[in-house]
Amino acid sequence: MEEYAIEMLHITKRFPGIIANDDITLQLRKGEIHALLGENGAGKSTLMSVLFGLYQPEEGIIKKDGKAVKVNNPNDANALGIGMVHQHFKLVECFTVLDNIIMGVEPTHLGFLQKGEARQKVKMLSEKYGLYVDPDARIEDITVGMQQRTEILKMLYRDNEILIFDEPTAVLTPQEISELMQIMKNLAAEGKSILFISHKLNEIMEVADRCSVLRKGKYIGTVNTADTTIEELSAMMVGRNVNFHVEKKPSVPGDVILDIEHMTVASKVHKNNAVKDVSLKVRAGEIVCIAGIDGNGQSEFVYGLSGLEPLVSGKITLDGKDITKTSIRQKSLLGMSHIPEDRHKHGLVLDYTLEDNMILQTYFKPEFTNKAGFLRRKNIREYANRLIEQYDVRSGQGPITITRSMSGGNQQKAIIAREIDKQPDLLIAVQPTRGLDVGAIEYIHKQLVAQRDAGKAVLLVSLELDEVMDVPDRILVMYEGEIVGELDPKTTTQEELGLYMAGAKRMEVTA
Amino acid sequence: MLLLLQYTLIFTSVLVLVALGGCISEHSGVINLGLEGIMVMGALGGALMMRAFGTESALLMVLAVILSAVVFGMAYSALLGVACINFKADQTLVGTALNLLGTAAATVLVKAINTASNPDNHSSEIEYVRARKMFIVNINGFEFNWFMLIAVLAVIGVAIMLYKTRFGLRLMACGEHPQAADSVGINVYKMRWAGVLLSGALGGLGGICYILAGVSLWKFENGVAGFGFLALAVMIFGQWNPVRISLAALLFGLFRALSNTYVGIPFLVSLNLPSNVYNMMPYIVSLVVLAFTSKTSRAPKAEGIPYDKSTR
Amino acid sequence: MKKLLKNSGVQAFIASIICIILGLLIGYIVLLFINPEGATESILNVIKNFFTFNRPKTQLKNFGNTLAKTMPLLMCSLSILFAYKVGLFNIGTAGQYVAGACASLYAALAWGWGWLPCMLFAIVAGALLGAIVGFLKAYCNVNEVISGIMLNWIALYLTNTLLSSVKEVASPYTLTLKNENPSALLPKAGLNELFNNDYITIAVPMALIIAIAVHILLTCTKLGYELKATGSNKNAAKYAGMAENRNIILTLAIAGGLAGLGAAMIFQSGYFRWECTQSSVPGMGFNGIAAAFLGGLNPIGSIFASFFIQHITDGGQYVNTNFYSSQISDLISSVIIYLCGFVLFIKLTMTKMVSRREEKAAQKQKTQGQKTQEQKTQEGGDK
Repeated sequence: MEEYAIEMLHITKRFPGIIANDDITLQLRKGEIHALLGENGAGKSTLMSVLFGLYQPEEGIIKKDGKAVKVNNPNDANALGIGMVHQHFKLVECFTVLDNIIMGVEPTHLGFLQKGEARQKVKMLSEKYGLYVDPDARIEDITVGMQQRTEILKMLYRDNEILIFDEPTAVLTPQEISELMQIMKNLAAEGKSILFISHKLNEIMEVADRCSVLRKGKYIGTVNTADTTIEELSAMMVGRNVNFHVEKKPSVPGDVILDIEHMTVASKVHKNNAVKDVSLKVRAGEIVCIAGIDGNGQSEFVYGLSGLEPLVSGKITLDGKDITKTSIRQKSLLGMSHIPEDRHKHGLVLDYTLEDNMILQTYFKPEFTNKAGFLRRKNIREYANRLIEQYDVRSGQGPITITRSMSGGNQQKAIIAREIDKQPDLLIAVQPTRGLDVGAIEYIHKQLVAQRDAGKAVLLVSLELDEVMDVPDRILVMYEGEIVGELDPKTTTQEELGLYMAGAKRMEVTA
Repeated sequence: MLLLLQYTLIFTSVLVLVALGGCISEHSGVINLGLEGIMVMGALGGALMMRAFGTESALLMVLAVILSAVVFGMAYSALLGVACINFKADQTLVGTALNLLGTAAATVLVKAINTASNPDNHSSEIEYVRARKMFIVNINGFEFNWFMLIAVLAVIGVAIMLYKTRFGLRLMACGEHPQAADSVGINVYKMRWAGVLLSGALGGLGGICYILAGVSLWKFENGVAGFGFLALAVMIFGQWNPVRISLAALLFGLFRALSNTYVGIPFLVSLNLPSNVYNMMPYIVSLVVLAFTSKTSRAPKAEGIPYDKSTR
Repeated sequence: MKKLLKNSGVQAFIASIICIILGLLIGYIVLLFINPEGATESILNVIKNFFTFNRPKTQLKNFGNTLAKTMPLLMCSLSILFAYKVGLFNIGTAGQYVAGACASLYAALAWGWGWLPCMLFAIVAGALLGAIVGFLKAYCNVNEVISGIMLNWIALYLTNTLLSSVKEVASPYTLTLKNENPSALLPKAGLNELFNNDYITIAVPMALIIAIAVHILLTCTKLGYELKATGSNKNAAKYAGMAENRNIILTLAIAGGLAGLGAAMIFQSGYFRWECTQSSVPGMGFNGIAAAFLGGLNPIGSIFASFFIQHITDGGQYVNTNFYSSQISDLISSVIIYLCGFVLFIKLTMTKMVSRREEKAAQKQKTQGQKTQEQKTQEGGDK
């Protein structure tokens, strides 16, 4: 009999109308790195929530070291030595690294914190596993990579034996990713058992010993990574062979639509400027992608361009018109569409109906508002119905569905429908596929290419390497608020791209 | 001048106590807009104790009154806790309800009690001349009130609690990032309850201190005249930090004291301003101060957002 | 039945009824504690209000009194709900009401203006106070609740100072409009005879029309669409090119104008006079909170809720004052506000109850509909 650190056997968890986990079995061997692969909505998070006692499964048992255990809450999981690095870090920003590590298991004397010994232990662990981070720095002052190390130290400080990493590479540079892979290997070598949740096949192939695949709530199977291929894994994940490559004809760039000269935008978090002296051009009929690691000024760049934040300096021209000081409303009327980074924050009024969201940019136009200031409900309904049909936006009650109740993919489709239907000259799409499943991603990529082929200028901002390599005609890499490289996706490699993204390489760009 | 100092210090004490209450509650993640009502309840608890407790020992009286005010304040703040922590109610709405309820309930209650003791007395007043003297030590004409000391101790105590103890670390984690606190096994609901109850205790103390500040008779229909909100302004000005709160309170306390003492200051009398100007002063000052300090706020990030375990 | 329970309007109505019943029950329990003897009679009197009188004519007259005071309350509740729809808690309604009273009385008594200019002046004064709160919120990030409260007190003391110049010599009350400047009294259009009550003026139909107008403004117009979007998601409003700061100020100015108008409605009917030694802000604005939430934050609901709140507030006069105080009504209405905090929870519970039943019904059909079930699972379980 094999030795398993943790086993989840025949787990079934139902929600009203949905079976989130349907008879799933996951067995983690001691000292192995085990990948859990699945698309968004495959049931990975539900399974982890069951493991942490946040949900009680209707069927199935959990075994630790071969003995059945009951997990009622996260504390039980902690007591069993299970720890997790969440995709969104669970760190208190204004606390120090040390405070975050000891929180929940603070060494105290009469209720007073005793940080001295804790600091020693953290330093010892840092050295042992190569997790370098200053214990007295505040979380808000350190890099994302260091924040992740803090999360790992949090688990090690608690002497956890089973470490779960939930999509840990999404926020890291390629170089940081390879460091993390090394750290994970070190941990496994020291006898820790690691569960690595991901949908990135390359990383799974590189670091994992075995891989279990979930699809649509069902358990598909477990394979040894040594005996499989990326293609096989991907077929298991999506249930069919996926064409990862975006089909597109060569681009035929036309006139310059967007011309940005020396744009500088201030940062909200620190004193330096977030975007420094950026100049670029986007032509009709091409897709230009701004690539870069999260937090290198891309968000602020788009805010400055769209008018959500003021510029410190610079000049923006759209179709030959100076729009540097134009209002957001005017920019939209002049032909700028913007698919925002955060659809919940900017893109939608979640408590509004779908039809009301469909006219968010155009509600004041004569089609939708009469001269007396009253909304023309009938026209709005017709317009929404047309978009819903044309862009295949699915919802419970059609145009009168409350947007909050819709799935993320359909919310995103609604935004894309709204922004593309404005017939813009320039389409800005910021991380348009974030958090969506493969089907929706394919759809959105096709729409972007279709816009390009219709002669529009498309500016794509993306953090996903696959998207950066496949969709655009030109890549501009942004690092610490500057454009540090212009690459041709047909000739460059992921490795080269990574060097630019990490700031290790740069060229003079006069795009 | 001595009188001005005395009033400044006592009103500062009130503001410090109540603002610290607000500060603890907000650090735990609950905005306590009901401090005004909590003050009324604390004042009521203390005043009733002063009436009921016939001791000659000043120490016993002081302790009993403090205990009573604290218990009243905490019990009343529990209404906020139930609604806002367990039932995720709108914190602004519930806080406002508590303010209105505090004055209404105190009035109804005091009138009922007075009616019981004397059929002709329908007022909502409580008198406590004898008991008030026990709180005061006269030092060369300066009336030292024990609450001044209590306020100083409270500042030190709260500062140590927040920054040096396990409880403080966990409390602040719940106000900054409750999901993070929950993920390491801290019971967010419990910590928020602790925050609310402590703010109730301090608010209650502030309430009794307020009605002892200058008078020996309190009409409960009047509530506490927006003092709970002044304390919140002090807290914002003090950027949720106990030591800075105490400095902010001094400024506000001074302006509040002016309305009680300006008749004794020749320069101010010579200005010949209507007394209402001095009455308005603390509110105007707080508006101005807030206008300049609210932009860069260090408010706890998760304050005002009900914590729901299922949305982690 | 199930469909009815899922309708949010019906849910709001049921929730309000639950709040009212619990509020009255708690009031009754308090009375019982104070003195069990007259408690039942007194709580019934609170509920009956003008029905405590025997003669129909007196009943009508007292009904008229309640109605006259309902109108300013309605305006205050509209002020609060309008701001709330835009995501702002306008606790400054109380002060805006005071500012309105100050403006209308001062214009009427010191300058001898007619009723309409006085009323417009009151609207401007209320709107100005609201705009200050809005400005501080939009440009200085000051919490509107705290600045609102501060302005309530400032408005109170300013009003006391200003109106002292037009008060009676012997009393703290302002001069009577009827004697000094009857032209400032609102026209009655025969309504006073209908109700046998001189305080019933055109304010009654005016307030009702305004309530409906606010409803239409919020649901059917471009402005309502914009303001609600700003209230629901400030960032999305900005992204959509709406002027969010302007909208915040505009909203609070409108809300303030409504409260100011409410004050003009009652002070220019001659029902109230201002007491220049007042040491607390009048409760009208605060009761408006109760009425707004009890009315399910719907302007039409507000009409009924305002009447109810004013009804029990007046009913408070008829408790047995040998044992109890009339503030029992304040207690009941503040308990109702408190309970309104639970409305969301009550609604959720109702929705859950319905869907649980539906699910049970669905389980029965499961044997037939196995296939549809499978399709549903494809939607996945991640959040």
